Amino acid sequence: MITINSLTFQYPQSSQPVFKNLTFEIAQGSLTLVTGESGSGKSTLLRCFNGLVPHFSGGLISGDIDVFGLNPIEEGPEILSKEVGFVFQEPEAQFIYDSVEDEIAFTLENAGMPYAAMHSKVSEIIHQLKIEDIRHRKIRQISGGEKQLVAIASALVGGKKLLILDEPTSQLDPQTADELLSHIKKMKQEQGLTIIISAHRLERLLPYTDNILHLAKGADPIYGPPQQVLSQIDLVPPIIEIAKKLKISPLPIKIEEFPKISPSNSTTHGIKSNNLNDETNRSILIIKNLSVIFDKQTILKGINLNIRKGEILSIIGPNGAGKTTLLRSILGLVHKKGQIILNGDEIETLDFAQIIRQIAYLPQNPNDLLFADTVTEELQITLKNHGLEKSQEELVSFLSRFNLVDKKNAYPRDLSIGERQRVAIAAITIFEPEIILLDEPTRGLDYSTKSALYTFLKAWSDQGIAVILITHDVEFAAQIADRVTILEGGKITFTGHPRVAFTQFKPYQTQTARIFPGRNWITTQDVVNN
Amino acid sequence: MKNTAVWIFWFLTTLVLIFFMQNPIYLIIFLLGLISLGYHLSEKDEKSTWLKKNLQFLATIIFVSAFINGLFTHSGKTVLFSFPDSWMLIGGSVTLESLTYGAINGITICAIFLLFRVLNCALSVKQLTRLIPRALYPIGMIISISLTFFPSIQRRICEIKEAQMIRGNPMKKIRDWLPILIPLLVSSLENGIILSESMTSRGFYTRKTKNTPIFLIIGLIIGTFSIFSGWIFLIYDYPAYYYLPLFILGGIIIFFILRALSIQIETTKYHQEKLSKNDFLFLVFNLTFVFIFSSFMIFGNPTSLSYSPFPAISFPKIEFIPIFLTLLTYLPIPLITYDHH
Amino acid sequence: MKYRFFSFLIDLIVFLIGVLSLIAPFVFPEISSPVFSQSSYPIVVSLMILLCIMIIFIEIQSSILDSKIIAFLGIIIAMNAGLRFLENALPGPAAFSPIFFLIILTGYFFGSRIGFLVGTLTILVSGIITGGIGPWLPAQMITAGWVGQFSALLNYPIQKFNLKGKSGEIIILIFYGAFWGLLFGVIMNLWFWPFIGMIPGQNWLKNASIITNIQRYGAYYFTTSLLWDVTRSIGNILLLASLTRPVLKIFNRFQSRFTFQYRLAENQ
Repeated sequence: MITINSLTFQYPQSSQPVFKNLTFEIAQGSLTLVTGESGSGKSTLLRCFNGLVPHFSGGLISGDIDVFGLNPIEEGPEILSKEVGFVFQEPEAQFIYDSVEDEIAFTLENAGMPYAAMHSKVSEIIHQLKIEDIRHRKIRQISGGEKQLVAIASALVGGKKLLILDEPTSQLDPQTADELLSHIKKMKQEQGLTIIISAHRLERLLPYTDNILHLAKGADPIYGPPQQVLSQIDLVPPIIEIAKKLKISPLPIKIEEFPKISPSNSTTHGIKSNNLNDETNRSILIIKNLSVIFDKQTILKGINLNIRKGEILSIIGPNGAGKTTLLRSILGLVHKKGQIILNGDEIETLDFAQIIRQIAYLPQNPNDLLFADTVTEELQITLKNHGLEKSQEELVSFLSRFNLVDKKNAYPRDLSIGERQRVAIAAITIFEPEIILLDEPTRGLDYSTKSALYTFLKAWSDQGIAVILITHDVEFAAQIADRVTILEGGKITFTGHPRVAFTQFKPYQTQTARIFPGRNWITTQDVVNN
Repeated sequence: MKNTAVWIFWFLTTLVLIFFMQNPIYLIIFLLGLISLGYHLSEKDEKSTWLKKNLQFLATIIFVSAFINGLFTHSGKTVLFSFPDSWMLIGGSVTLESLTYGAINGITICAIFLLFRVLNCALSVKQLTRLIPRALYPIGMIISISLTFFPSIQRRICEIKEAQMIRGNPMKKIRDWLPILIPLLVSSLENGIILSESMTSRGFYTRKTKNTPIFLIIGLIIGTFSIFSGWIFLIYDYPAYYYLPLFILGGIIIFFILRALSIQIETTKYHQEKLSKNDFLFLVFNLTFVFIFSSFMIFGNPTSLSYSPFPAISFPKIEFIPIFLTLLTYLPIPLITYDHH
Repeated sequence: MKYRFFSFLIDLIVFLIGVLSLIAPFVFPEISSPVFSQSSYPIVVSLMILLCIMIIFIEIQSSILDSKIIAFLGIIIAMNAGLRFLENALPGPAAFSPIFFLIILTGYFFGSRIGFLVGTLTILVSGIITGGIGPWLPAQMITAGWVGQFSALLNYPIQKFNLKGKSGEIIILIFYGAFWGLLFGVIMNLWFWPFIGMIPGQNWLKNASIITNIQRYGAYYFTTSLLWDVTRSIGNILLLASLTRPVLKIFNRFQSRFTFQYRLAENQ
């Protein structure tokens, strides 16, 4: 049993407490989902359970916590580590060793366990999590999902009562995330493990959740069973949103719980035609029969794409399908066969400088771009790189599009995650590119930041800028894309209208599509409109 | 044959043997042994590189050493040619003896460097890290972490560099490092925070070891100084009863203090290395060699180990036992080739 | 206070042993042992230096290392080693060692012990990675360690003249970097010097004075490594000039999170 009583915590540098007077109980063997916007205190709360807060972070804390008889506030992380395991968001940053076995044994080494006992415990946890096949591998060679499994193994080895996971799936693609969660569910069922998880995208976890704790800055926390909490909060997964709009009660948390809706035969919900079929809309990027071979492996084969001005193209597909390579080929960074014609010129005839003068690229980690002292300076740096100049007024008006005017002199790294992404986007689009490439921009973002991103994409499309977007987030792509390309194993298996992509291809169906089979609805907006 | 301790023991023995050999014949045999051992230890595709690189290295060092020595020193009887005396430093005669002396030095340098290279081939990175004594466990942890993060940092550098290049950074001047370095530094430090949280959550000792009593550190200094003085006595040809006790005393002090320090650290080791049949066999051979060498030094006549081309060049003396000892470098070869793993 | 005095004393003694080992060729008379090979001299010097490094490590372990600093150091050293191997990929003159500026800045900002560790371990880790463990490592390690250790001393003049945050600070750091660019090479050559046969007594004129030996060394140095050292200095100067300010800013931001955090656990 875990109890929290009137917990209040404030970081050393801040003037406001992160949360105040939190009180609730978590039953043994239950799975609790902690949600809330970025900055609402989820990570902080999770760290209270094993003593990292306040022992590691400093700050002012009051109230009581009881974790299976231990008091983290008094005892601290070393003592709590005997009962509590913690898994972090970044698969990369939490490993000390390069070998799977050594990493798992680390906890036991610290506890001074004798060799024979260590060996058996390590084998035990490897068997429980079914990772025997990677036992002797090096950590840098295994996939993201396998890495998180190793992290879980090293957190749980030796038998723990509580497992805490801080956004464990945000860096993983959907299939891997599902596999990870089913492992967690099994641990819960077979070992009676108590689990606390924080996440942004709830839909995957809802079926396994016993209770939800919703945190919000400046408002009271809400705690209770899923249906109860979800009915009280606004930003929810599509399935819940639809259920709310259709006034279905109690709220279904699994697709299967949704009342069956008969497939419709009506054709009134046909595919909305968009004016992109208009002949007068010129192509800005033509890819013909593109092939990329690297290290004797075929990464891309026979790629044909025609991207028009103002079009938002979403590329989806499993990890390793070649999506990033495709973007890099467009930038001329990869040795290729076939043609890529940018604005009438084959890119092999252009300098790199000429290519990047027309294309902007947002990498997977937008923080990689920020290095200046102020936000305005970030913009100026890109301009200088391209040999352009803009006046202060122009810069300020540009920043206003991103809601960053009041931050124009701020140190970029001090800003929040959403603000930093906006700065990065502003910095790469200041020179008015014709094409913008985005590589997984929605990773780890909460709902409100995602909707800000949606606004930008729509605005660019209206201005005639072509956008190519790689994402795993099918819900987001369903809302924004004009066209969808599915890339699997280096080949395009489908290019066409989102309504077709997100209804007819099982791995990529949106929740809406699964609830309402046979119609061409892919977003909640579609449901509402009808 | 993979056991770390066995290789280290072989390494130390060979090192000591080289220290005492000045006779070029013995040294050359050593050298050839090391080259072939390294050849056998290398991976298939690296074998020819090993040969090429090391033979080149050998030739260069011997040549340079002989050359410099010949130019700068002027003792010896067999004069090859001379520079006018008035020339600074190199004025004087260039003698065969000084060239030979330089060459012998070159061979010794090569032998020592090759010995280290062979050790690098024989032991993996992990084995090397495990050599760090337990008393230095926190330092060892820093090294492990660096080694683990190194590949991902290299990857990040490429990613960041590419992202900035696409943004238009020309990457031409030193100034252009900044856009790579700063994001790299920040993200690395942020990862560092997560890493330390991860370590702490798994029970890594966070209390600083109680301030190591000063007297232990002073003891280490005394031990080091003792070894230092012993070595001074050795090189100035004082009798063995001067330097041997100092070495032993210093060694014992350091060993026990390290032991005391390592007991404070409560962690255990997951990885245990096993002793295979070949390892054991090799260990036994090695001990035999040590025994033979010590007896030779104490009871035999070690003069053939030394050699000097001065004052006039002569052919070095050869004796059976030292030749036998040089076989130490060839010994691992059959054991590696017939390894049953 | 007493402890600080002792630790300073230990640093001093160890430093002296290290330096003594390195300048021995100039100071000791001829090696006369007939059996002990003279070329092994530098190896034993390395051993001495290794022992000295070990003593300092043990002292540092007991005073400042906790899990945060261990993680911090692990990552900074990985970064520095990563930079070292980038000499080819990034612009700069040849023999350009980008590792020093981080060593200098971490020593300057975080203190002499951290600077020492960053210097020493960067060399060691890059050695392990390249499979280049060799007898030269201890000498390189301790010299790089000194670079980091002594940069902490720069705090005294900089604070005294109230230069923090101003260009004076950067200028002093640049001088320090340039100076050590050369000195590093000088010291490394000192270690290698005996290998070339210029070992105690053997080759100089009997009873030659220290001055003559130094002259010889000067000639040797001039021909072999001056060029490399000058490029190293220039590299240090350029890097420090452009990168100090942003890097110090980042250190500032992270310092509070990495140094030992007071924990206020109060019940209200």
